[in-house]
Amino acid sequence: MEGSDEGVERVVDSKDLQQQSKAFDKLTDRVEDRQLDSSRVQEAMASIAASSEADWQAMRKREKELAAVKINAADVDIIANELELDKKVAERTLREHKGDAVAAIRHLLR
Amino acid sequence: MGASLPPKEANLFKLIVKSYETKQYKKGLKAADTILKKFPDHGETLSMKGLTLNCMDRKSEAYELVRQGLKNDLKSHVCWHVYGLLYRSDREYREAIKCYRNALKIDPDNIEILRDLSLLQAQMRDLSGFVETRQQLLTLKSNHRMNWIGFAVAHHLNSNASKAIEILEAYEGTLEDDYPPENEWCEHGEMLLYKISLLEECRFFQKALEELQKKELKIVDKLAYKEQEVLLLVKLGRLEEGEKLYRTLLSMNPDNYRYYEGLQKCVGLYSKNGHYSPDEIDRLDALYKTLGQQYKWSSAVKRIPLDFLQGDKFHEAADNYIRPLLTKGVPSLFSDLSSLYNQLGKADILEQIILEIESSIKTTSQYPGGMEKEPPSTLMWTLFLLAQHYDRRGQYEIALFKINEAIDHTPTVIDLYSVKSRILKHAGDLVAAAAFADEARCMDLADRYVNSECVKRMLQADQVALAEKTAVLFTKDGDQHNNLHDMQCMWYELASAESHFRQGNLGMALKKFLAVEKHYADITEDQFDFHSYCLRKMTLRTYVEMLKFQDQLHSHAYFHKAAAGAIRCYIKLHDSPPKSTAEEDNDMSKLLPSQKKKMRQKQRKAEARAKKEAEEKNEESSAGGISKSGKRQAKPIDPDPRGEKLLQVEDPLLEGTKYLKLLQKNSPDSVETHFLSFELYMRKQRILLAFQAVKQLLRLDAEHPDSHRCLIKFFNKVGSMNAPVTDSEKLICNVLEAERQTISQLHGKSLFETNNSFLEKHEDSLTHRAAFGEMLYILDPSRRSEAVKLIEGSANNLVPRNGALGPIREWTLKDCISVHKLLATVLVDQDAASRWKMRCAELFPYSTYFEGICSSASPNSAFNQIRKSTETGSSNHWVGDHNAESTSNGKLEAFKDLTI
Repeated sequence: MEGSDEGVERVVDSKDLQQQSKAFDKLTDRVEDRQLDSSRVQEAMASIAASSEADWQAMRKREKELAAVKINAADVDIIANELELDKKVAERTLREHKGDAVAAIRHLLR
Repeated sequence: MGASLPPKEANLFKLIVKSYETKQYKKGLKAADTILKKFPDHGETLSMKGLTLNCMDRKSEAYELVRQGLKNDLKSHVCWHVYGLLYRSDREYREAIKCYRNALKIDPDNIEILRDLSLLQAQMRDLSGFVETRQQLLTLKSNHRMNWIGFAVAHHLNSNASKAIEILEAYEGTLEDDYPPENEWCEHGEMLLYKISLLEECRFFQKALEELQKKELKIVDKLAYKEQEVLLLVKLGRLEEGEKLYRTLLSMNPDNYRYYEGLQKCVGLYSKNGHYSPDEIDRLDALYKTLGQQYKWSSAVKRIPLDFLQGDKFHEAADNYIRPLLTKGVPSLFSDLSSLYNQLGKADILEQIILEIESSIKTTSQYPGGMEKEPPSTLMWTLFLLAQHYDRRGQYEIALFKINEAIDHTPTVIDLYSVKSRILKHAGDLVAAAAFADEARCMDLADRYVNSECVKRMLQADQVALAEKTAVLFTKDGDQHNNLHDMQCMWYELASAESHFRQGNLGMALKKFLAVEKHYADITEDQFDFHSYCLRKMTLRTYVEMLKFQDQLHSHAYFHKAAAGAIRCYIKLHDSPPKSTAEEDNDMSKLLPSQKKKMRQKQRKAEARAKKEAEEKNEESSAGGISKSGKRQAKPIDPDPRGEKLLQVEDPLLEGTKYLKLLQKNSPDSVETHFLSFELYMRKQRILLAFQAVKQLLRLDAEHPDSHRCLIKFFNKVGSMNAPVTDSEKLICNVLEAERQTISQLHGKSLFETNNSFLEKHEDSLTHRAAFGEMLYILDPSRRSEAVKLIEGSANNLVPRNGALGPIREWTLKDCISVHKLLATVLVDQDAASRWKMRCAELFPYSTYFEGICSSASPNSAFNQIRKSTETGSSNHWVGDHNAESTSNGKLEAFKDLTI
């Protein structure tokens, strides 16, 4: 069910506008997808490598390190309020600077 | 999908879906009603009916039905999907994504839902999510071409172009050897060019070139092929081959400046900053002479040498360039030469050339040293060029003299009046500028360009109603100037908004600025349909280019103007809130009873008139909805035609912050962005954010007068704050203490000393002296007279030049107006302001702001005297309506005796 925002036929009062309207409508027309030869597809799928595993592991390790940092909850509130930031952003920045509120703020003012 | 329905109704349900997909909404509605007769509580049918109604502009019914359907069948992925589609059509993308995710919990491998989700992720630039979704689609339906392409593009957008290349190569591996069939040549060719651009992006130049040449026969776009090939050759350092190919491209299009630039690079004669050694200039000159022989009809080959030639060679080449164009009568010649005025010394040479031509033609009807008689029009075009030249150099009296001479010569040339209008605008007489633009407009009522130029001048002169009437001459019948909004006519809305702002009509100003912002929001939404369309058409290079353009959309100058204007409105609203009804009543109570009565009568009359006008306007709006075909289309009536509701905003600074964040993200290199940021955050008491603005200003231009103002103001305020008490205040204090060390302007100095240092560096500059004076007053209000004296003591020095005719002085009209406002409203020294005004009235005699003797604002000026006699001698009002059929000569008469 490919969606369409187009409403009922628009009122048109010139040939030009009719053509324009038709052309825009064609943009969201329903069209069948092109099919490919399925025997060749099997070979191609096998060649797509999964290299995302290593990236995911590296990210997980980083997140674990950050979670271990001790921070002052009041500092998070102050930073979020004074710099008009989302609390998650404020907290993450504070963790990245090992809980040093002054350093975190100076980084955010960069 | 409707599994619980009996076979007959299940088929009808499929028909609803099919009708929706093929946009046959009435048919789908009929089928839904048939099912609902027997199964009135069927959730999925209710949902589909709602979705169909949504496409027929019956939105409130749609939401009601869809929510009812979902409520009846919470475990249906169809109901959740439909709810998401509904949110999407209202651009509530985050809500739509939630609905899709709920649908996928119920039916994890539903192709349609995954596809719709991927569209939303692309729109929201959730690129890692986009990659995941496209991967899932490819896994589920790997024999669909679009899924391969979608997956590759997703990786490219997610900054993994090499992965995208892998996928495209795997995709190519699935194709037959004789691929593509005849009807898909273009699609396949585009895919190949996209892949090669990915290889280039990954800096695999050699492989890209090999692939390009191997696939030459399959690439339909031959121009793109050649351009890509030449770029790769240059990057591989194969300059001889590159040179040959650039010459081929030049033979195809000898007016493409980029080809000339590429050719120069290949022969080792290109400099990014445009500076060349004398030897390089000689070689370049020889190169372009050779090319000039090959491409005799090309303008570019004659014009480009003017950029690098110097001295006598420039003189000769410019002279040769200008003469044929004057003879031919090319009005855009000055625009063509305009960029040369930024190079040292060339403006003087151009002046010399044109003056010699003028003198020679006047005496002999020939060019200097020429043998042939020139037609009479050559003198007129020479004067036209000279007028623009002197306008550019700020010598408005001479410019006006020359343009008047040209008008006397041939009074029927429209361009002459347009240029006169522009000169008067630069000289500061906006009213006269508007009048002459209107004169030009009346000479060709069928040309929308002169109409628009006239409208713009009228808006600059704050003649809003007249401008609107004039603009309406080219809008669709019955739409009035709403048509300009519908057609996203931003220049008009910006000029109108600025005019309202100058006149203190914040409501209308805000309305227009926000209208421009809405256009940008609409343009952002316009990309949505192309996420699937471009994958189908395979126009991938252009699609990616569009996405990058969309990411930078709000960097455009018009958005910057609109957002900055809106922020200025909100700051002004904050500083001077509109009076509430209670306050007005208080004012009223102080009046005498008879005055009260009079005031109330006035109010009643005004209200009645406004109401009547509003009703008339609504009638006009409704009438416009009836088209020739007889169908009635209801136009949404503007709920806030004068922007009054916009003035009632509870927290103007909060509204302003929304647009400020867009400016900070998209125009970080603009001084104005951070100046507004400073002004707004100081008012919000966000000390650290105000400081961030100061830092940005110092980064961009530490010597800018506004940067200096913000620096002094900020630390003056911080210095006057109480000792920190709360944790928050202590933390702020610590941060500022640490940051202060990094600001060189403050090292070991008091603010007074910093201000004095600034003056010592810039004592010859009017704008910098004004900033110094203002800051001296802010630091110590008792030293106001000292500040005033220093500003008034500025000298208007001559700009050094070799020229022969008339002086050029440093001060600009705009800067002098700023100083006057500073003296009158910040330093509040009306005597000094008056003296400044008189002084500037002499320097800028055409300025209406300073009421210069030659301006239309001066009661003794020729302009006003002529207007008076015209008014008394004529039954028509001077500023009358201009009908489309008018053959009026406009206001030429009024300016005939305008003195120089």
